[in-house]
Amino acid sequence: MSAILAKIVAAAGFAGVAVALAVRMRLGLAREIALASLRAGVQLAAVGAAIALVFRYPALAFVFVGVMVLTAGLTAGGRLRGLPGARRRALVAIAVPALVATGALLLVGAFALSARAGVPTAGILIGGALAATTLTGRRLLESLVDEAGEIEARLCLGDDARGALAPAVRRAVTTGLIPVIDQTRSVGLVTLPGTFVGLVLGGASAAQAAATQLVVLLALVAVELGAGLLLAELTQRALIEPGERVALPHVDR
Amino acid sequence: MRAHGTSEGLRARDVRVTLAGRCVLDGAGVSVPRAQVTALVAPSGAGKSTLLRALVRLVATDRGSITLDGEDVHAIDPRDLRRRVGLVAQMPVMLPGSVADNLRHGVDDLGDDELHAALDAASLDAASAVRVARELSGGERARVALARALTRRPEVLLLDEPTAALDAAAARRIGESLRGLRDRGLAICVATHDAGFVAAWADRSEGLP
Repeated sequence: MSAILAKIVAAAGFAGVAVALAVRMRLGLAREIALASLRAGVQLAAVGAAIALVFRYPALAFVFVGVMVLTAGLTAGGRLRGLPGARRRALVAIAVPALVATGALLLVGAFALSARAGVPTAGILIGGALAATTLTGRRLLESLVDEAGEIEARLCLGDDARGALAPAVRRAVTTGLIPVIDQTRSVGLVTLPGTFVGLVLGGASAAQAAATQLVVLLALVAVELGAGLLLAELTQRALIEPGERVALPHVDR
Repeated sequence: MRAHGTSEGLRARDVRVTLAGRCVLDGAGVSVPRAQVTALVAPSGAGKSTLLRALVRLVATDRGSITLDGEDVHAIDPRDLRRRVGLVAQMPVMLPGSVADNLRHGVDDLGDDELHAALDAASLDAASAVRVARELSGGERARVALARALTRRPEVLLLDEPTAALDAAAARRIGESLRGLRDRGLAICVATHDAGFVAAWADRSEGLP
């Protein structure tokens, strides 16, 4: 049996075990697990084929990364209903830090200047920016609704609009960064992250894997902070009106 | 508090406010002269809160005029306007920290004497300065919000339903505080539908269309 076939069989086996457990325990999750597993298989097969195409025609890397950024922006924007122009703002918040960091990593030689290195690097950073944007945005919108009275009280006391929004913005950006900070703190102790595992399984030395993981992880911290701050800035620009007024959003929860 | 002359105070005429595409106030106005307590009397939902918020530009108006001592409020920096015209909300929100932290918010040069004077004017004793603001009762919060507005050295005070959810004794303390401030020359406007409070403490009253 080839290695690829063995992996597919193993994956299907795990999915089967999960479905069987869900049925046995009457969790009502069997169908969902089966569909999610099937969907993951189809998606990864499609991505594998697309990446193979990118490796053959490197110029397609730009299209591939563009689609990733667009999908991430639409996904995050869909979770930020209540914010005017949510998808556009989420797209910018994700694209700018993720693509700038990818470009920097390739240009300084941290990774080879190739489609084979660029696409996965961009993918990891776009994924991190997506998570931070969604988390920061959700927290910010909820704070703006929950703390509307406090924001108005600060305006009444003579704060400018940015000053009145500052506590909510700080809390949101902090919340958005918690997962990546925890991941950075616990790396190697609680989990072995994907980049490290993938490189080791692919035959790289432990030192090479660790160095690559380190640069990815710390780039993620910077990218996610950048995405959170950028989204917060864009949100404030959307909400602050002339005359130091704040148009607080309505959020359906 | 600032010294006040014979200037006219705050005046609004024919104000219209549209929120989320809906006209919530039309043709509203009020005069808030110096050294008087003006009651803005109207039933709940008539737009009293919206008018008060429009007076300090927390909501935009699409028609009408609002002047402070004859000057269009839109020509005044909004931050200065909101210090000169203090708005105390119906359900005052306390900022994090102590009562003193609340009173000093945005007023870095506030001395102890001025802090205690503001507390006194709002019928609060000096010992309350160290209490945690968010642990206060509704009546205490109302008075801290009043004291907090006073530390900005306002010329005009706007109070939105200041006696809502207060017992008679707490409402009387608010009324006594307002009378003392009026005697110092402040222009005061109380939006309320509490007829008893108006009869006891207001010098004049106006309604909404």
